[in-house]
Amino acid sequence: MGTNYTVNELIVSRAAKELKDNELVVIGQGIAMAAGVLARKTHAPNSVILTEAGMFGIDPFKVPLHIADPTCSRGFTYSCDMIDIFTTVVNRGYVDATFLGVGQIDRYGNMNSSYLGDPDDFTIRMTGAGGAPEFVGYANRAILTMSGGTFVNTLDYFTSPGFVTGGDSRYEAGMPEGSGPTMLITTKGVFKFAEDTKELYLAGLHPGVTVEEIKADVPWDLNVADTLEITPFPTEEELTIIRTFSPEVSMGRKLQLEVVMNRVIDLLSKNA
Amino acid sequence: MQKYMDPDKRMTAKDAIDRFVNNGESFVFANCLYSMPLALAHELIRQGKKNLMAFQQGGIEEIDQLLLAGSLDRLVLAYNFRAGGPRITTPLDRALKERQIVVEELTNHTLLSMMKAGAMGYPFIPVLSGIRVTDVVKRKGFMGDQRFSEITDPFTGNPVLVIKGYNPDFALMHVQRADKAGNGQLWGAMINSKWACLAAKKVILSCEKIVDTEVIMSSPHLTIVPAHKVCAVVECPWGAHPSELLGHYDYDFPFRALFFGSCASPEGAKAWMDEWIYTVGDRHEYIEHYVKRFGQETLDAFRAKSFKSVDADYGSTFSTDWNESGYSRNMGMNMDEFVAMLDKKGVLIHGN
Repeated sequence: MGTNYTVNELIVSRAAKELKDNELVVIGQGIAMAAGVLARKTHAPNSVILTEAGMFGIDPFKVPLHIADPTCSRGFTYSCDMIDIFTTVVNRGYVDATFLGVGQIDRYGNMNSSYLGDPDDFTIRMTGAGGAPEFVGYANRAILTMSGGTFVNTLDYFTSPGFVTGGDSRYEAGMPEGSGPTMLITTKGVFKFAEDTKELYLAGLHPGVTVEEIKADVPWDLNVADTLEITPFPTEEELTIIRTFSPEVSMGRKLQLEVVMNRVIDLLSKNA
Repeated sequence: MQKYMDPDKRMTAKDAIDRFVNNGESFVFANCLYSMPLALAHELIRQGKKNLMAFQQGGIEEIDQLLLAGSLDRLVLAYNFRAGGPRITTPLDRALKERQIVVEELTNHTLLSMMKAGAMGYPFIPVLSGIRVTDVVKRKGFMGDQRFSEITDPFTGNPVLVIKGYNPDFALMHVQRADKAGNGQLWGAMINSKWACLAAKKVILSCEKIVDTEVIMSSPHLTIVPAHKVCAVVECPWGAHPSELLGHYDYDFPFRALFFGSCASPEGAKAWMDEWIYTVGDRHEYIEHYVKRFGQETLDAFRAKSFKSVDADYGSTFSTDWNESGYSRNMGMNMDEFVAMLDKKGVLIHGN
């Protein structure tokens, strides 16, 4: 297979390293789930993965199509429902980490997954809030990934709370003390949040990317760490796991739809 | 509150939607993403139901299909799948831009809390207050003030975000099995199913298979909706296709891609709706048409292998205190000795 990789595979490989063993993790679909599964199959075999649909302790052998897809696992350990997850698990502080995809993000890690453009006269309605506001609001750590999104000074729509207006404002607004996003991984680099101001800063670069390229994507004067980590290449073992588990994540949604549509056209012409 | 006590509610999807759905009513999808009640939703479309208000936690294709049919004018939504990515204008995008519908944007937790409060008969329920800083709470949709409010915790004095309870007129639901009275059993991803069907004033239920009540009696932990909430039971194999249902079938992504791909243009979407909803009479014809278009082996590739739950044993001695020989385990006497004892104690009242 070699070690040539897609940018999604690099994001998955880097995100997986943020999950520790013996943690309870809430995971969504796509890149986030691939990262959680990669961690479980490598350095975090005792982590417990659950989805907001109420499936606790799943052991996914493929990437679920969505957060309620039980065909990704041969059974699971505890069947509850979505209200149980948000109240008895999330609100009670049992969630160590959550992985989430980002549409738009501001300098304090607040996110928009609802509308691009003025919500009353928008260009695109994205997926909507789903479970993101409460997960980012109440999970101990949130690891954010952004593959098609953008940095903005002001969100078109404020869907999910990061550090609100910076400093302690998140905790004053009622979110649990010490909780919050810890990392953002984009197609170009890795960002973290300053301990005092809670502002995003550049902490690392993906191979071959320059600081200038990243600064060009960010509309505010981005702070840059003194020493920048270079994201390690995904290993052959990691690539095998990711591609076996989720070829759709490796190729990305746009290419997936193209490939599957070709298959549909092929099937239809065979039976015509 | 109206109860549905008929011991046999079996009927076709056509009769169920015709009898129990009126234009202008509100309804909730009591499954989201998993086990989607798509046969029932397609029947709503075929019968041209109008001005409906839908509650949906997470839509995949059904919201877009109902919008293409012009069935909805109000939508309460937390999430809607965008398979085509950001470049395609979806039917939901188009319906909002053209003011065909009004929308209320909630989160998974708050929308479901609205159902849970309604199901329990409570006027409102606390939710996770931190999201008060977001536009989900700050920007009002068509429900205006009839959703979030803030009250004071009477014990601590802290502010608490609350959401109003709601009781939709009906719920659509698809499950693995039910008896003819409507005791419905679902397993797999439970998501919103319990609270959505209990919040609704009535449930239109479809199932893969109608089973004897004896099956339900031996596995009541799987019953998600009790018969008195259910107004109609429709036996409907493949009733959730192309979504997945444990023990029956996996999701059919290529078929979904065909719908998403067709939504790139209004003409393409109309052609899909004509072929897969308007020109098939019911789910049986839909599957026949599928086999004709894609081949039997394409359909069969999605069939589930078995992974049976270990039985919960609901057995007991199935006897009263009197054993097979007519002897009481608790009192150590037979029936004659028991009556003699009552007489001796002076508690027997003598009749004729």
